[in-house]
Amino acid sequence: MTTTEPSLSEAGSAPGAGRRAMPRTGAWLPTWPLITTKNLEIRKRRGLMITMVVLIIVPTVLFYGLRLLFHAVDPHGYGLAGSPQFFSQATNLIEEFGFIAAAALGAAAGTTDLSDGMFRHLVITGRSRLALYLARIPAGLAITVPLVALAFGMNCLVTSYQSPPNPTTVSFYGVNAAPDNLNQAELQTWLLQHSQQVANGFLPGLPGGPGAPPASLTQIRTVIDHNIATYYGAYTAGEISGSTPPINEMFKIGLWLELDVGIAFLVGLGFGSLTGQRTTTVIVMIALEIIVTPLLAHTQLPYFIDGQRLLIGVAMDQLRPAALAAAAGPGQGGGGGILLGGRGAIGFPPMPTWAMIAVILGWIIGWSGIGAWRMMTRDA
Amino acid sequence: MNTNDLLAAGGVTGPHGQHFGPGLGIVALLVLGALGYGAVRLSQRVRLSRPPRRAARPAPPAPQPAPASPVSLARPDGGWAVETHGLTKRFGPTVAVDGVELLVPRGSAFGYLGPNGAGKTTLIRTLLGLTKANAGTMSLRDIPVPAERSRALARVGAIVDEPRFHGHLTGRDNLRLLAAARGGDADQRIDPSLARVGLADRAGDKVGTYSMGMRQRLGVAACLLADPDLLMLDEPMNGLDPAGMHEMRAMIASLAGEGRTVVLSSHLLDEVERTCDAVAIVDHGRVIRQGPIDELIRGAGALVVQVDCAEPARAKQLIEEAGLAAGTALAHAGLTVTLRAGASREAVADLNRRLVGAGIDVYGLREVQTSLEDWFLSVTSRLGEAS
Repeated sequence: MTTTEPSLSEAGSAPGAGRRAMPRTGAWLPTWPLITTKNLEIRKRRGLMITMVVLIIVPTVLFYGLRLLFHAVDPHGYGLAGSPQFFSQATNLIEEFGFIAAAALGAAAGTTDLSDGMFRHLVITGRSRLALYLARIPAGLAITVPLVALAFGMNCLVTSYQSPPNPTTVSFYGVNAAPDNLNQAELQTWLLQHSQQVANGFLPGLPGGPGAPPASLTQIRTVIDHNIATYYGAYTAGEISGSTPPINEMFKIGLWLELDVGIAFLVGLGFGSLTGQRTTTVIVMIALEIIVTPLLAHTQLPYFIDGQRLLIGVAMDQLRPAALAAAAGPGQGGGGGILLGGRGAIGFPPMPTWAMIAVILGWIIGWSGIGAWRMMTRDA
Repeated sequence: MNTNDLLAAGGVTGPHGQHFGPGLGIVALLVLGALGYGAVRLSQRVRLSRPPRRAARPAPPAPQPAPASPVSLARPDGGWAVETHGLTKRFGPTVAVDGVELLVPRGSAFGYLGPNGAGKTTLIRTLLGLTKANAGTMSLRDIPVPAERSRALARVGAIVDEPRFHGHLTGRDNLRLLAAARGGDADQRIDPSLARVGLADRAGDKVGTYSMGMRQRLGVAACLLADPDLLMLDEPMNGLDPAGMHEMRAMIASLAGEGRTVVLSSHLLDEVERTCDAVAIVDHGRVIRQGPIDELIRGAGALVVQVDCAEPARAKQLIEEAGLAAGTALAHAGLTVTLRAGASREAVADLNRRLVGAGIDVYGLREVQTSLEDWFLSVTSRLGEAS
């Protein structure tokens, strides 16, 4: 340290040298430089960024890379790399691992200023603490959104160019080869015209069973008229599950994925800011995603069903786009087991749209509010 | 009663015909519980904001301080850089800052002195808004805080405790973060600040590779981003080697020389005496003395004389029996005599006459200059006696 170096005074910034307008550091809205520098701070955490890539990108690369490789080596032994089912499974992979990665990123964004001792420096600048908190949100989302988009983009590309052609018939409840693109009335007419096929299928409501006499035509017609709404639901699910999702459906699924991962980031950020402890936050978020949510989504507790509905995973599964939800087949929850997606919300009693939106907004606003409140009241 | 009966008895039906069971009631109970907890916490806060009951204070009773020195506390032309009245900060029942009245003139190098645990850092943290005060008023640069905290801190730089930064970022990137938070033209001061503290060559290195001294310098550079009117440095010499201390001292002197107010919190009396022109002494969270160093030491009134004589033990006994001094002490160099407060140089001549008259050879009498350390110890020892 030497006083012979160029001084601030020489740079024309000595105290009192020109009473310039003070920057409005008290404003609660974060400035662009505040957001970009916070993004820089997160981006330069090499270990964290590697973890993000490993959790979000690598599973999709491995999933499709191996399938593409096997198909290229042995086209007869291994089918095309893409299919609607693989699309659903790969999306579930991105969602599960993306949730955990985003939560870890949020926890880091919410705690590193504290743990590194920078929070004190930042507060001393006079900048609004709320602005400091809010700057972390776009700074972190600027990392999760492109990564998820990249992984999902690969998924969409492989599915679009490496899937078998869409079938022109739909199978459901053992009724084979119903034509596609029927509406409910057309399906009802088709079923009535093909009552023999229907009698050989497993449509719910049909009389009969092992050793029982076959149902009469009148019985079949009565059952079809009575249950057509249920049959049409299964038909639609079968139709969607067997087809490559169109572009607009993929776009919806992409938005749903980004929302899911974005919520994970916000909850991680809020919880991290509340506790100030990164490890604790990450552990709690992982437990929420892979233990608590699947358990509560698969097990209906009659006296606590509204409490279960307050879980973000249940609400998000209710929002899960139809093409994704039905891809594993009618009546199935999703693509994978309890760990890798398919939380089973399809079999969960539906919740009204307002309740679903309220739960999702509640998690976003609630955790952001808690995190911001803690940041504003915390001793630095 | 079967399950459906139970559900019907305790639930409601949603708009889609689905049943909402008594879970709603449980959720409502949880919300009520949270509200109740909030109310309890709020009442605890209200209780905390009341004046503490002295009987509940676990710390030993603080000595009653002598009235703060009134010297030079008239409002200076430039106003006060720091002004507090009755500032109080409590952590539970412990009072860390106890009704502090502090006045720091603008443009001064001001030392905030006190033993470890006296409340120095807590006062600075409270002033900077790092923690909330429980009572009292304060202003920085004549701007009230926390009411106008952002405006007040716009030209304040501070190092509180050990300066720590993001270790995975370079020194320059850390300053970029802080400049972005400062706003305005702070980003244009990054390079001049780095150059001024001598870190221009290492600005591209990660802070994790910096030594303690370099981090201290980076802390000063962070302060300079604000082009500060007021610098508050908390124990800036901590962890520095002698060369680093010398450099930091020169830096502080040069900053003060530019007309900036520098508040230096320290327990290193020697450092403060070399660097500052005014001080406040804090103990048990209270300011017990403040003013310019020269005036405070002069105001202490004690005249200390080093007596080089034969038979120092007999001389000591003679002086004590005659009641000539407030205190005597045998030292390697002879006898140290502390005359009573307000004693003039005539008392020194009288001392000499008594010794010679008693047949003790006197080889020399030398007035000992009282240092800040001597004064500090005398003040604190008086307090100790009072308690």
